[in-house]
Amino acid sequence: METKPSNGSPAKFVDQLVVPGDVILDLSTMAEQTIKLGGGLRQDCDAISVIKAGILRFSKPNKYWVESSQKRYVPCAEDSVLGIVVDCKPDNFLVDIKGPSVAFLPVLAFEGGTRRNIPRFEAGTLIYVRVVKANPGMNPELSCVDATGKAAQYGALKEGLMFECSTGLSRMLLSSPTCPVLETLGKKLPFEIAVGLNGRVWVNAGSPSIVIVVGNAIMKSESLTKVQQKIMAEKLLQRVQQE
Amino acid sequence: MPEEGEKEEMVTPGEVLGKAADLKAGKGAYVAPYRSSEIQYVFSSLTGLRHTLTPPSDSPDQRPTVEVIGHKARGAVPEAGSVVIARVTKVMAKTASADIMCVGTKSVREKFTGVIRQQDVRATEIDKVDMHLAFRPGDIVRAVVLSLGDARAYYLSTAKNELGVVSANSTAGETMVPISWTEMQCPLTGQIEQRKVAKVGS
Repeated sequence: METKPSNGSPAKFVDQLVVPGDVILDLSTMAEQTIKLGGGLRQDCDAISVIKAGILRFSKPNKYWVESSQKRYVPCAEDSVLGIVVDCKPDNFLVDIKGPSVAFLPVLAFEGGTRRNIPRFEAGTLIYVRVVKANPGMNPELSCVDATGKAAQYGALKEGLMFECSTGLSRMLLSSPTCPVLETLGKKLPFEIAVGLNGRVWVNAGSPSIVIVVGNAIMKSESLTKVQQKIMAEKLLQRVQQE
Repeated sequence: MPEEGEKEEMVTPGEVLGKAADLKAGKGAYVAPYRSSEIQYVFSSLTGLRHTLTPPSDSPDQRPTVEVIGHKARGAVPEAGSVVIARVTKVMAKTASADIMCVGTKSVREKFTGVIRQQDVRATEIDKVDMHLAFRPGDIVRAVVLSLGDARAYYLSTAKNELGVVSANSTAGETMVPISWTEMQCPLTGQIEQRKVAKVGS
């Protein structure tokens, strides 16, 4: 495969849009160092090439990855996601997490879970879970307990409204410091929200009108910059207060 | 066909081999009443050569066993205790499925499925086995048949040093080189992947 290695300096690609086939790093021109490759990058002998279109990101000291936003979710270990229970088996719940295959949630993976107190989830229950193992080709494994064994907000979500968005938007909603749209809305309206990295968001509030306002604001902020988000959220709040 | 010195004759399915009172039914033969009468006869169920085996002298039942060996050369069939070569098709949380390709040194003619359970992957620390770190889909493994298993698959085991992954491809597509009993390395990219590797050679 003839690749014209670009002159090995990845700096000019960082934070730029890259497409599959771009060679961002030529290992033969670099000295002995360890480089960590995240998603979207592949090693072909000495060249690191891109396999997913998106923005190339770099974090010190040596991590490279490609960030892209899509409706599809690729399960990854240690992600917190919103799943919908599809079926119950003797050992596992089958949960749909918008991935290529249905995921298994072991019946005992709850805080203080024993064979005696297995939770009764019906088909259609929305749950906030953590992905434990996500190997290619195998069904992902989930858990309602965090790494230390505590429940930590995982479990079934009651009432409220769940809507779907892109994975990029969920990552933005979860970024710290708090993203502007949530911050502006949170100052005036009381609501609770759960964001899944698989492109699902759940909102609950005292009255349905607040839920809808928050949901619409989030869906509108998909392609807005931080300043635009703040302006949009404030305008929305003004109209709500007028009514 | 003229009878050979060892009394081998060609029989067809449904042919009477003798009375059940005189003979025991072995492989390829079965016992059933003759039409509507109550006398049990031994019938053949295959097309092939009929063999008579003399009973051991110390058994209480002194009837000779008659069996029919199919005359067509058939592929090997896995039996309990035989060493098989299989290709892994699916890896799941507690089991791995594999298609059996050879039994001993002979290849099979029909599709046989085997299943390797989590507790049969290795001999030590069997409840801490991570199936994904032992096998991947597409690996060629050498395993021993534990039993005929259930209706769907044979039960296989790789719990010995000389059993396990014999050949595997890395994610880059190259055949990997084993470097220890848990790791294999891709010669192209240098990436190390975990498998339950079989110890090949002396």
